Amino acid sequence: MKRSYHVIIVGSGLAGLAAADILSRYGLQILVIDDNAHLGGQLLRELPQAAAAENRFEPDRLKRQGVRLAARIKKGNIQVLNGTQVLGIYPGHILLVADSRGHVSEYCADALILATGARERQLPFKGWTLPGVMSTGAAQILMKSSGILPGRKTLIGGCGPLMLVLAAEILANRGEILAVLDQSSTVMKLKAVTAGPAIWPKLLEGATYLARLAAARVSIKQGVRIVEARGRNQLEEVVVAGVDADGRIVRGTERVYATDTLAVGYGFSPNIELPQQAGCAIKYSKARGGWFVDVSDAMMTTVGDIYAVGEATGIAGAGKSFVEGRIAAWDILKKRSVVDRQTYESNAGPLMRRRSRQVQYGRFLNHLCRLQPGCYAEIPDETVICRCEEITMGTIRSQLNNNFTTMNGIKKATRSGMGNCQGRTCGPILFDILSAYSHRPPDEIGCTSARAPVKTVTLGALAKMTVNTSQDDGDKCNN
Amino acid sequence: MSDLRISSVWRGAKINIRVNGKAVIAFEGETVHATLLAAGYRVLRQTPKTHQPRGIFCGMGVCYDCLVTINGAANQRACMTRVEDRMEIEVDET
Repeated sequence: MKRSYHVIIVGSGLAGLAAADILSRYGLQILVIDDNAHLGGQLLRELPQAAAAENRFEPDRLKRQGVRLAARIKKGNIQVLNGTQVLGIYPGHILLVADSRGHVSEYCADALILATGARERQLPFKGWTLPGVMSTGAAQILMKSSGILPGRKTLIGGCGPLMLVLAAEILANRGEILAVLDQSSTVMKLKAVTAGPAIWPKLLEGATYLARLAAARVSIKQGVRIVEARGRNQLEEVVVAGVDADGRIVRGTERVYATDTLAVGYGFSPNIELPQQAGCAIKYSKARGGWFVDVSDAMMTTVGDIYAVGEATGIAGAGKSFVEGRIAAWDILKKRSVVDRQTYESNAGPLMRRRSRQVQYGRFLNHLCRLQPGCYAEIPDETVICRCEEITMGTIRSQLNNNFTTMNGIKKATRSGMGNCQGRTCGPILFDILSAYSHRPPDEIGCTSARAPVKTVTLGALAKMTVNTSQDDGDKCNN
Repeated sequence: MSDLRISSVWRGAKINIRVNGKAVIAFEGETVHATLLAAGYRVLRQTPKTHQPRGIFCGMGVCYDCLVTINGAANQRACMTRVEDRMEIEVDET
């Protein structure tokens, strides 16, 4: 028997929480589903003990909002399924869902809000699969969710502001940093600063982080990239080198750091797989962080009554998520005639104007994480590209030479993107490799198709599922 | 490697888990991958095709690199599972 709701929200980050809060205030029946064990997505990761202390001081305005929303939702009349994965979305807004015990069942709703968030983007280098090499996000999560340092002495590399945030957090937790190596040069960053007033508060925030790191005498280098991670069974040393304007390694500038922990990240990619599987149209833009879900001003996707909010519609951080979740909620309330036109306009109007400023900030953020085509030309043949299927750059290169120059083509020719993560890690990397090699426009290179199940599930769990085929059951969701 | 636990953090109750049969200390609220790292387990599995070691990578349930066996269930994401008292974890270090 399918359980039905007015609205199902997938993802409980700031976007999902903001939507749930408004919708429940107007008495709608809401279900929130999240893969994580906690509410609040990547912004509100913290030890459950710390999260329970509601009155503690939280300096960040958006995190403060998030903590408040999560507390209200826990107390309110909203059903929450944590540790739960959505495997697929079918016509009639039917969701196939695997809960934390691995039980598979169906849910449906009049409207869906997909707040699926983002993941970190990576640039493969030799040895990046060695234990001890982790994403900058992974290093942060270890500290925030479990109170454990990523390593005794951490080397940080990649590009974008998250490196500075991570470094400041390691210092605040009395950890040590070997160096922060920023692949993009000072010149590239200055070009991004012309973006206008939307980014000024963020520049100030960045300057505060830099000052904190300078006070702790952390070595910060610009235009230096990670070349190779070495070690027998786990990370022992990291080779780094200077890069030129095209992203190519400058020979003779190599240097070796001895360390067992390297945190790397090169910006973010929107999590579009679930909306894509549901049939929502996607678009490509470097300023949005790659392929993103195409939405209207009211956050509606190209599929009726399916909304997409937050990082899935373009990378820009928590500010945009907080705005977009609320816009979608007001649109649903207006469509259901729960609020009148005037209430809708006085609430959604200002949010839509704020959204355009947040999108502008996203453009700046994604520019900071831009990688030059030369980075991809220099990936050695033995470097793994698809971590799950263990497909190397050599295999990719030979198939590129065989003219497999689209995402779906290279996937079929090499199996990259067919493993456990279903191309979430190598997909954005392969797209950039194909762009650098073929110079074809994004729409011709394309995006790998997403099919259900979009997350791994055992055949046993699917076999145990009870499928309800009766007609009247489907009618409960009147769509 | 117990020194990776940040001293200023407000921790949950001390619990006992076993990793490959050996007793390991954990604290309520920690995720399995973090407890394993703090206990010095950095290699969590070997890849099926080329037998390469893998450990923590994305830390947020995306990459499926930190797969371990938890209470007899294989291929569980260590980063998405919280530790529980008397949990039995198996990792493939070799």
